[in-house]
Amino acid sequence: MTDLGRDGYCVERMRAGDSRALEELYDRHNGLLYSVVLRIVKRAADAEEVLQEAWLQIWRAAATYNAARGTVGAWLVTVARSRAIDRIRSEGSRQRAEEASGADPPPPTEDASANAAHRQMSERVTRALDQLGPQHRQVLEMAYFGGLTQNEIAGRLNAPLGTVKSWTRQALIRLGDLVPREEWM
Amino acid sequence: MSTHRDDHLELCAGYVLGNLSETETGTLEGHLEEGCPTCEAEINRLGRGAWAFASATPRLLEPASLRARVLDTVRAESGRRAPIKLPRRRLAPVVAWVAAAAAAVIAAVGVIEWRAASRLERELADARGEMSKLQQELQSEREWAALLAAPQARVIELATTPDGSPQLRARVAYDPATRRAVVAVSDFSPPPGKDYQLWAITKTGPASLGLLRTDRSGRALIRLPDAGDPFTLAAFAVSLEREGGAPTPNAPAGPVVMVGKIGS
Repeated sequence: MTDLGRDGYCVERMRAGDSRALEELYDRHNGLLYSVVLRIVKRAADAEEVLQEAWLQIWRAAATYNAARGTVGAWLVTVARSRAIDRIRSEGSRQRAEEASGADPPPPTEDASANAAHRQMSERVTRALDQLGPQHRQVLEMAYFGGLTQNEIAGRLNAPLGTVKSWTRQALIRLGDLVPREEWM
Repeated sequence: MSTHRDDHLELCAGYVLGNLSETETGTLEGHLEEGCPTCEAEINRLGRGAWAFASATPRLLEPASLRARVLDTVRAESGRRAPIKLPRRRLAPVVAWVAAAAAAVIAAVGVIEWRAASRLERELADARGEMSKLQQELQSEREWAALLAAPQARVIELATTPDGSPQLRARVAYDPATRRAVVAVSDFSPPPGKDYQLWAITKTGPASLGLLRTDRSGRALIRLPDAGDPFTLAAFAVSLEREGGAPTPNAPAGPVVMVGKIGS
Protein backbone atom coordinates (compact mmCIF):
# COMPACT_ATOMS: atom_id res chain seq x y z
CA MET A 1 0.00 0.00 0.00
CA THR A 2 1.30 3.50 -0.85
CA ASP A 3 1.60 6.29 1.71
CA LEU A 4 -1.52 7.86 0.18
CA GLY A 5 -3.41 4.61 0.64
CA ARG A 6 -2.12 4.21 4.19
CA ASP A 7 -3.12 7.80 5.02
CA GLY A 8 -6.65 7.24 3.72
CA TYR A 9 -6.95 4.04 5.72
CA CYS A 10 -5.73 5.88 8.84
CA VAL A 11 -8.53 8.43 8.47
CA GLU A 12 -11.05 5.59 8.19
CA ARG A 13 -9.65 4.06 11.37
CA MET A 14 -9.73 7.39 13.20
CA ARG A 15 -13.38 7.73 12.26
CA ALA A 16 -13.86 4.37 13.96
CA GLY A 17 -12.11 5.60 17.10
CA ASP A 18 -8.68 4.04 16.62
CA SER A 19 -6.16 6.48 18.09
CA ARG A 20 -3.21 4.40 16.86
CA ALA A 21 -4.14 5.53 13.35
CA LEU A 22 -3.46 9.10 14.44
CA GLU A 23 -0.04 8.01 15.72
CA GLU A 24 0.78 6.70 12.28
CA LEU A 25 -0.27 9.94 10.64
CA TYR A 26 1.71 11.89 13.21
CA ASP A 27 4.87 9.96 12.45
CA ARG A 28 4.51 10.45 8.71
CA HIS A 29 3.48 14.11 8.67
CA ASN A 30 4.30 16.00 11.85
CA GLY A 31 7.77 16.95 10.63
CA LEU A 32 6.24 19.11 7.91
CA LEU A 33 3.42 20.36 10.15
CA TYR A 34 5.90 21.48 12.80
CA SER A 35 8.07 23.28 10.25
CA VAL A 36 5.12 25.11 8.67
CA VAL A 37 3.58 26.07 12.02
CA LEU A 38 6.88 27.29 13.46
CA ARG A 39 7.48 29.38 10.35
CA ILE A 40 4.16 31.10 11.05
CA VAL A 41 4.14 31.53 14.83
CA LYS A 42 7.94 31.92 15.19
CA ARG A 43 8.19 30.69 18.79
CA ALA A 44 8.78 26.99 19.45
CA ALA A 45 6.54 27.01 22.53
CA ASP A 46 3.67 28.47 20.49
CA ALA A 47 4.25 25.94 17.74
CA GLU A 48 3.97 23.07 20.20
CA GLU A 49 0.73 24.40 21.65
CA VAL A 50 -0.70 24.96 18.20
CA LEU A 51 0.18 21.42 17.16
CA GLN A 52 -1.41 19.91 20.25
CA GLU A 53 -4.62 21.77 19.39
CA ALA A 54 -4.30 20.89 15.71
CA TRP A 55 -3.91 17.15 16.24
CA LEU A 56 -6.85 17.16 18.63
CA GLN A 57 -8.89 18.91 15.99
CA ILE A 58 -7.73 16.38 13.40
CA TRP A 59 -8.85 13.58 15.71
CA ARG A 60 -12.23 15.14 16.29
CA ALA A 61 -12.80 16.17 12.70
CA ALA A 62 -11.69 13.00 10.90
CA ALA A 63 -15.25 12.61 9.62
CA THR A 64 -15.04 15.96 7.82
CA TYR A 65 -12.04 15.05 5.67
CA ASN A 66 -13.08 15.33 2.02
CA ALA A 67 -10.87 13.39 -0.38
CA ALA A 68 -12.30 15.34 -3.34
CA ARG A 69 -10.42 18.43 -2.18
CA GLY A 70 -6.97 16.91 -1.69
CA THR A 71 -4.83 14.33 0.04
CA VAL A 72 -4.84 13.54 3.74
CA GLY A 73 -1.38 15.12 4.04
CA ALA A 74 -2.65 18.36 2.51
CA TRP A 75 -5.65 18.31 4.86
CA LEU A 76 -3.39 17.88 7.91
CA VAL A 77 -1.22 20.81 6.84
CA THR A 78 -4.33 22.91 6.23
CA VAL A 79 -5.68 22.21 9.73
CA ALA A 80 -2.35 22.91 11.44
CA ARG A 81 -1.70 26.04 9.41
CA SER A 82 -5.21 27.38 10.12
CA ARG A 83 -4.62 26.96 13.85
CA ALA A 84 -1.30 28.76 13.54
CA ILE A 85 -2.87 31.64 11.61
CA ASP A 86 -5.66 31.83 14.21
CA ARG A 87 -2.96 32.06 16.86
CA ILE A 88 -1.15 35.03 15.33
CA ARG A 89 -4.46 36.72 14.58
CA SER A 90 -5.81 36.19 18.07
CA GLU A 91 -2.70 37.75 19.53
CA GLY A 92 -3.57 40.78 17.46
CA SER A 93 -0.01 40.89 16.32
CA ARG A 94 -0.12 41.99 12.75
CA GLN A 95 3.54 42.80 13.09
CA ARG A 96 4.24 39.12 13.35
CA ALA A 97 2.36 38.52 10.17
CA GLU A 98 4.45 41.19 8.50
CA GLU A 99 7.64 39.65 9.78
CA ALA A 100 6.48 36.25 8.59
CA SER A 101 5.95 37.62 5.10
CA GLY A 102 9.71 37.98 4.79
CA ALA A 103 11.82 35.01 3.84
CA ASP A 104 13.78 34.77 7.09
CA PRO A 105 13.76 31.20 8.40
CA PRO A 106 13.23 30.65 12.13
CA PRO A 107 16.31 29.73 14.15
CA PRO A 108 15.72 26.10 15.38
CA THR A 109 17.80 23.21 14.13
CA GLU A 110 17.17 21.98 10.64
CA ASP A 111 16.30 18.35 10.14
CA ALA A 112 19.14 17.52 7.76
CA SER A 113 17.94 14.07 6.73
CA ALA A 114 14.40 15.26 6.00
CA ASN A 115 15.72 18.27 4.10
CA ALA A 116 17.88 16.05 1.91
CA ALA A 117 14.77 14.05 1.01
CA HIS A 118 12.76 17.17 0.21
CA ARG A 119 15.49 19.23 -1.40
CA GLN A 120 14.35 18.35 -4.88
CA MET A 121 10.81 19.63 -4.30
CA SER A 122 12.17 22.73 -2.59
CA GLU A 123 14.38 23.50 -5.57
CA ARG A 124 11.55 22.92 -8.03
CA VAL A 125 9.26 25.27 -6.11
CA THR A 126 11.96 27.95 -5.93
CA ARG A 127 12.66 27.65 -9.65
CA ALA A 128 8.96 27.75 -10.57
CA LEU A 129 8.35 30.88 -8.49
CA ASP A 130 11.46 32.53 -9.92
CA GLN A 131 10.09 31.93 -13.40
CA LEU A 132 6.78 33.55 -12.49
CA GLY A 133 8.24 36.62 -10.82
CA PRO A 134 9.02 37.90 -7.31
CA GLN A 135 5.50 39.22 -6.77
CA HIS A 136 4.05 35.71 -7.06
CA ARG A 137 6.34 34.44 -4.30
CA GLN A 138 5.57 37.51 -2.23
CA VAL A 139 1.78 37.10 -2.36
CA LEU A 140 2.08 33.43 -1.42
CA GLU A 141 4.48 34.15 1.44
CA MET A 142 2.24 36.92 2.77
CA ALA A 143 -0.87 34.77 2.53
CA TYR A 144 0.50 31.39 3.52
CA PHE A 145 2.94 32.28 6.27
CA GLY A 146 1.79 35.79 7.13
CA GLY A 147 -1.93 35.05 7.28
CA LEU A 148 -2.77 38.28 5.46
CA THR A 149 -6.09 38.67 3.68
CA GLN A 150 -6.20 39.42 -0.03
CA ASN A 151 -7.24 43.01 0.67
CA GLU A 152 -4.35 43.45 3.12
CA ILE A 153 -1.87 42.08 0.59
CA ALA A 154 -3.22 44.40 -2.09
CA GLY A 155 -2.81 47.33 0.31
CA ARG A 156 0.73 46.41 1.29
CA LEU A 157 1.88 45.83 -2.26
CA ASN A 158 -0.07 48.81 -3.52
CA ALA A 159 -1.52 46.54 -6.19
CA PRO A 160 -5.13 46.16 -7.37
CA LEU A 161 -7.03 43.41 -5.56
CA GLY A 162 -7.78 41.68 -8.87
CA THR A 163 -4.09 41.57 -9.68
CA VAL A 164 -3.28 40.05 -6.29
CA LYS A 165 -5.94 37.40 -6.85
CA SER A 166 -4.57 36.74 -10.30
CA TRP A 167 -0.96 36.37 -9.06
CA THR A 168 -2.10 34.05 -6.29
CA ARG A 169 -4.04 31.81 -8.62
CA GLN A 170 -1.27 31.70 -11.24
CA ALA A 171 1.30 30.78 -8.58
CA LEU A 172 -0.84 28.01 -7.11
CA ILE A 173 -1.57 26.53 -10.52
CA ARG A 174 2.10 26.64 -11.51
CA LEU A 175 3.19 24.98 -8.26
CA GLY A 176 0.42 22.40 -8.47
CA ASP A 177 1.89 21.22 -11.76
CA LEU A 178 5.06 20.26 -9.86
CA VAL A 179 3.26 17.62 -7.81
CA PRO A 180 3.24 14.26 -9.60
CA ARG A 181 -0.28 12.96 -10.17
CA GLU A 182 0.44 9.73 -8.29
CA GLU A 183 1.38 11.77 -5.21
CA TRP A 184 -1.90 13.63 -5.22
CA MET A 185 -4.79 11.46 -6.39
CA MET B 1 -27.24 22.10 -6.37
CA SER B 2 -26.73 25.88 -6.32
CA THR B 3 -26.00 27.68 -9.56
CA HIS B 4 -22.29 27.92 -10.22
CA ARG B 5 -21.04 31.40 -10.97
CA ASP B 6 -17.62 32.69 -11.94
CA ASP B 7 -17.36 34.68 -8.75
CA HIS B 8 -17.46 31.35 -6.90
CA LEU B 9 -14.46 30.22 -8.91
CA GLU B 10 -12.64 33.46 -8.18
CA LEU B 11 -12.95 32.76 -4.46
CA CYS B 12 -11.27 29.36 -4.65
CA ALA B 13 -7.62 30.51 -4.40
CA GLY B 14 -8.39 32.62 -1.34
CA TYR B 15 -10.36 29.73 0.12
CA VAL B 16 -7.42 27.37 -0.29
CA LEU B 17 -5.15 29.91 1.43
CA GLY B 18 -7.78 30.77 4.05
CA ASN B 19 -7.56 34.48 3.38
CA LEU B 20 -11.07 35.33 2.26
CA SER B 21 -13.34 37.52 4.33
CA GLU B 22 -15.85 35.70 6.56
CA THR B 23 -18.65 36.57 4.17
CA GLU B 24 -16.73 35.28 1.16
CA THR B 25 -15.86 32.08 3.02
CA GLY B 26 -19.52 31.63 3.99
CA THR B 27 -20.62 32.22 0.41
CA LEU B 28 -18.24 29.65 -1.04
CA GLU B 29 -18.78 27.07 1.69
CA GLY B 30 -22.55 27.38 1.27
CA HIS B 31 -22.10 26.84 -2.45
CA LEU B 32 -19.80 23.84 -1.89
CA GLU B 33 -22.17 22.30 0.64
CA GLU B 34 -24.82 22.20 -2.03
CA GLY B 35 -22.41 20.43 -4.35
CA CYS B 36 -20.36 22.02 -7.12
CA PRO B 37 -17.95 19.73 -8.99
CA THR B 38 -16.41 22.73 -10.81
CA CYS B 39 -15.39 24.50 -7.61
CA GLU B 40 -14.37 21.21 -5.95
CA ALA B 41 -12.04 20.53 -8.89
CA GLU B 42 -10.63 24.08 -8.73
CA ILE B 43 -9.99 23.75 -4.97
CA ASN B 44 -8.31 20.41 -5.55
CA ARG B 45 -6.15 21.91 -8.30
CA LEU B 46 -5.14 24.98 -6.30
CA GLY B 47 -4.73 22.92 -3.12
CA ARG B 48 -2.13 20.90 -4.95
CA GLY B 49 -0.14 24.12 -5.43
CA ALA B 50 -0.50 25.07 -1.78
CA TRP B 51 0.70 21.60 -0.85
CA ALA B 52 3.78 21.99 -3.08
CA PHE B 53 4.49 25.38 -1.50
CA ALA B 54 4.18 23.92 2.00
CA SER B 55 6.27 20.88 1.08
CA ALA B 56 9.19 23.12 0.18
CA THR B 57 9.36 24.51 3.73
CA PRO B 58 12.77 23.68 5.25
CA ARG B 59 12.25 20.91 7.80
CA LEU B 60 13.06 21.72 11.41
CA LEU B 61 13.68 19.25 14.20
CA GLU B 62 10.72 19.07 16.54
CA PRO B 63 11.26 18.60 20.29
CA ALA B 64 11.31 14.92 21.19
CA SER B 65 8.71 15.47 23.92
CA LEU B 66 6.10 16.85 21.54
CA ARG B 67 5.00 13.48 20.19
CA ALA B 68 4.17 12.10 23.64
CA ARG B 69 2.27 15.25 24.62
CA VAL B 70 0.19 15.28 21.45
CA LEU B 71 -0.62 11.59 21.66
CA ASP B 72 -1.45 11.80 25.38
CA THR B 73 -3.90 14.60 24.63
CA VAL B 74 -5.57 12.60 21.89
CA ARG B 75 -5.65 9.41 23.97
CA ALA B 76 -7.26 11.30 26.84
CA GLU B 77 -9.89 12.52 24.40
CA SER B 78 -10.41 9.06 22.95
CA GLY B 79 -10.42 7.33 26.34
CA ARG B 80 -14.16 6.87 26.27
CA ARG B 81 -13.79 5.04 23.00
CA ALA B 82 -11.04 2.62 24.08
CA PRO B 83 -11.49 -0.72 22.39
CA ILE B 84 -12.66 -3.57 24.61
CA LYS B 85 -9.73 -5.72 25.70
CA LEU B 86 -10.54 -9.36 26.40
CA PRO B 87 -8.52 -11.26 29.05
CA ARG B 88 -6.24 -13.97 27.63
CA ARG B 89 -6.12 -17.00 29.92
CA ARG B 90 -5.74 -20.70 29.34
CA LEU B 91 -9.06 -22.38 30.09
CA ALA B 92 -10.50 -25.85 29.61
CA PRO B 93 -11.67 -26.30 25.99
CA VAL B 94 -15.45 -26.13 26.65
CA VAL B 95 -15.12 -23.32 29.18
CA ALA B 96 -12.77 -21.55 26.83
CA TRP B 97 -15.28 -21.93 23.96
CA VAL B 98 -18.15 -20.60 26.10
CA ALA B 99 -15.98 -17.78 27.36
CA ALA B 100 -14.90 -16.95 23.83
CA ALA B 101 -18.51 -16.98 22.61
CA ALA B 102 -19.60 -14.79 25.53
CA ALA B 103 -16.70 -12.45 24.92
CA ALA B 104 -17.62 -12.28 21.25
CA VAL B 105 -21.22 -11.41 22.16
CA ILE B 106 -20.07 -8.77 24.63
CA ALA B 107 -17.64 -7.38 22.11
CA ALA B 108 -20.31 -7.39 19.41
CA VAL B 109 -22.79 -5.61 21.66
CA GLY B 110 -20.05 -3.18 22.66
CA VAL B 111 -19.15 -2.53 19.07
CA ILE B 112 -22.80 -2.08 18.09
CA GLU B 113 -23.38 0.35 20.96
CA TRP B 114 -20.18 2.18 20.22
CA ARG B 115 -21.06 2.39 16.53
CA ALA B 116 -24.51 3.72 17.39
CA ALA B 117 -22.94 6.28 19.70
CA SER B 118 -20.41 7.24 17.04
CA ARG B 119 -23.17 7.53 14.46
CA LEU B 120 -25.20 9.74 16.78
CA GLU B 121 -22.13 11.88 17.46
CA ARG B 122 -21.54 12.25 13.75
CA GLU B 123 -25.21 13.08 13.13
CA LEU B 124 -25.11 15.66 15.90
CA ALA B 125 -21.94 17.16 14.43
CA ASP B 126 -23.58 17.17 10.98
CA ALA B 127 -26.69 18.85 12.39
CA ARG B 128 -24.57 21.47 14.13
CA GLY B 129 -22.64 22.04 10.92
CA GLU B 130 -25.90 22.38 8.98
CA MET B 131 -27.26 24.86 11.53
CA SER B 132 -24.05 26.87 11.37
CA LYS B 133 -24.23 26.88 7.59
CA LEU B 134 -27.87 28.03 7.61
CA GLN B 135 -27.02 30.79 10.06
CA GLN B 136 -24.19 31.91 7.80
CA GLU B 137 -26.50 31.82 4.79
CA LEU B 138 -29.15 33.79 6.65
CA GLN B 139 -26.59 36.37 7.69
CA SER B 140 -25.28 36.54 4.14
CA GLU B 141 -28.81 37.01 2.75
CA ARG B 142 -29.45 39.78 5.28
CA GLU B 143 -26.24 41.51 4.22
CA TRP B 144 -27.14 41.31 0.54
CA ALA B 145 -30.68 42.52 1.23
CA ALA B 146 -29.20 45.41 3.23
CA LEU B 147 -27.21 46.44 0.16
CA LEU B 148 -30.36 47.05 -1.87
CA ALA B 149 -31.92 49.06 0.95
CA ALA B 150 -28.79 51.03 1.89
CA PRO B 151 -29.30 54.79 1.43
CA GLN B 152 -25.77 55.20 0.12
CA ALA B 153 -26.19 52.46 -2.50
CA ARG B 154 -26.10 53.61 -6.10
CA VAL B 155 -28.02 52.09 -8.96
CA ILE B 156 -26.27 52.28 -12.29
CA GLU B 157 -28.15 51.58 -15.51
CA LEU B 158 -25.73 50.48 -18.20
CA ALA B 159 -26.34 51.86 -21.69
CA THR B 160 -25.52 50.02 -24.88
CA THR B 161 -22.70 51.32 -27.05
CA PRO B 162 -22.79 51.29 -30.87
CA ASP B 163 -21.12 47.84 -30.66
CA GLY B 164 -23.86 46.39 -28.45
CA SER B 165 -27.28 44.97 -29.32
CA PRO B 166 -29.99 47.44 -28.33
CA GLN B 167 -31.98 44.79 -26.45
CA LEU B 168 -29.26 44.26 -23.80
CA ARG B 169 -30.33 45.34 -20.33
CA ALA B 170 -28.04 45.59 -17.30
CA ARG B 171 -28.30 47.30 -13.94
CA VAL B 172 -25.79 47.38 -11.08
CA ALA B 173 -26.62 48.19 -7.45
CA TYR B 174 -23.33 49.18 -5.79
CA ASP B 175 -22.72 50.01 -2.14
CA PRO B 176 -19.53 52.11 -1.78
CA ALA B 177 -19.45 51.44 1.97
CA THR B 178 -19.13 47.67 1.66
CA ARG B 179 -17.90 47.61 -1.96
CA ARG B 180 -20.55 44.97 -2.70
CA ALA B 181 -22.64 45.01 -5.83
CA VAL B 182 -25.57 43.12 -7.29
CA VAL B 183 -25.74 42.92 -11.06
CA ALA B 184 -29.02 42.15 -12.85
CA VAL B 185 -28.98 41.47 -16.57
CA SER B 186 -31.63 40.43 -19.07
CA ASP B 187 -31.67 39.57 -22.76
CA PHE B 188 -28.01 38.57 -22.49
CA SER B 189 -27.59 35.65 -24.86
CA PRO B 190 -24.06 35.68 -26.27
CA PRO B 191 -23.43 34.40 -29.80
CA PRO B 192 -22.00 30.86 -29.98
CA GLY B 193 -18.37 30.74 -28.86
CA LYS B 194 -18.64 34.07 -27.05
CA ASP B 195 -19.12 35.27 -23.47
CA TYR B 196 -20.14 38.58 -21.98
CA GLN B 197 -17.64 39.85 -19.41
CA LEU B 198 -18.24 42.47 -16.72
CA TRP B 199 -15.59 45.08 -15.93
CA ALA B 200 -14.97 47.65 -13.26
CA ILE B 201 -13.48 50.74 -14.89
CA THR B 202 -11.14 52.37 -12.41
CA LYS B 203 -8.77 55.31 -12.55
CA THR B 204 -5.93 52.87 -13.14
CA GLY B 205 -7.73 50.90 -15.84
CA PRO B 206 -10.25 48.09 -16.26
CA ALA B 207 -10.46 45.13 -13.86
CA SER B 208 -12.43 42.02 -14.67
CA LEU B 209 -15.39 41.24 -12.42
CA GLY B 210 -16.07 37.92 -14.13
CA LEU B 211 -18.17 36.47 -16.89
CA LEU B 212 -21.90 37.11 -17.12
CA ARG B 213 -23.32 33.63 -17.40
CA THR B 214 -27.10 33.70 -17.79
CA ASP B 215 -29.93 31.23 -17.81
CA ARG B 216 -31.65 30.14 -21.00
CA SER B 217 -33.80 33.24 -21.02
CA GLY B 218 -30.68 35.43 -20.94
CA ARG B 219 -31.20 36.55 -17.35
CA ALA B 220 -28.77 36.53 -14.41
CA LEU B 221 -28.51 38.01 -10.95
CA ILE B 222 -24.90 38.13 -9.86
CA ARG B 223 -23.50 39.11 -6.48
CA LEU B 224 -20.08 40.69 -6.33
CA PRO B 225 -18.50 40.62 -2.84
CA ASP B 226 -15.97 43.27 -3.93
CA ALA B 227 -16.82 45.35 -6.98
CA GLY B 228 -14.01 47.81 -6.38
CA ASP B 229 -12.70 50.74 -4.41
CA PRO B 230 -15.21 53.65 -4.43
CA PHE B 231 -12.33 56.14 -4.60
CA THR B 232 -11.09 54.76 -7.90
CA LEU B 233 -14.17 53.09 -9.39
CA ALA B 234 -15.62 55.23 -12.17
CA ALA B 235 -17.89 52.97 -14.20
CA PHE B 236 -19.04 49.46 -14.99
CA ALA B 237 -18.78 48.05 -18.50
CA VAL B 238 -19.58 44.86 -20.38
CA SER B 239 -17.53 43.48 -23.25
CA LEU B 240 -18.19 40.66 -25.68
CA GLU B 241 -15.31 38.23 -25.48
CA ARG B 242 -14.39 34.89 -26.89
CA GLU B 243 -15.65 31.97 -24.77
CA GLY B 244 -13.91 31.94 -21.39
CA GLY B 245 -13.26 35.66 -21.30
CA ALA B 246 -10.44 38.07 -22.11
CA PRO B 247 -6.92 36.63 -21.85
CA THR B 248 -5.91 39.18 -19.22
CA PRO B 249 -7.95 40.39 -16.23
CA ASN B 250 -7.09 44.04 -16.83
CA ALA B 251 -8.06 44.68 -20.43
CA PRO B 252 -11.08 43.72 -22.53
CA ALA B 253 -10.02 42.09 -25.79
CA GLY B 254 -13.44 42.29 -27.46
CA PRO B 255 -15.76 45.23 -28.12
CA VAL B 256 -17.28 47.07 -25.17
CA VAL B 257 -21.05 46.70 -25.59
CA MET B 258 -22.37 48.46 -22.47
CA VAL B 259 -21.15 51.19 -20.13
CA GLY B 260 -22.59 52.83 -17.03
CA LYS B 261 -20.86 55.63 -15.13
CA ILE B 262 -21.11 55.84 -11.37
CA GLY B 263 -22.63 59.15 -10.35
CA SER B 264 -21.36 61.05 -7.35
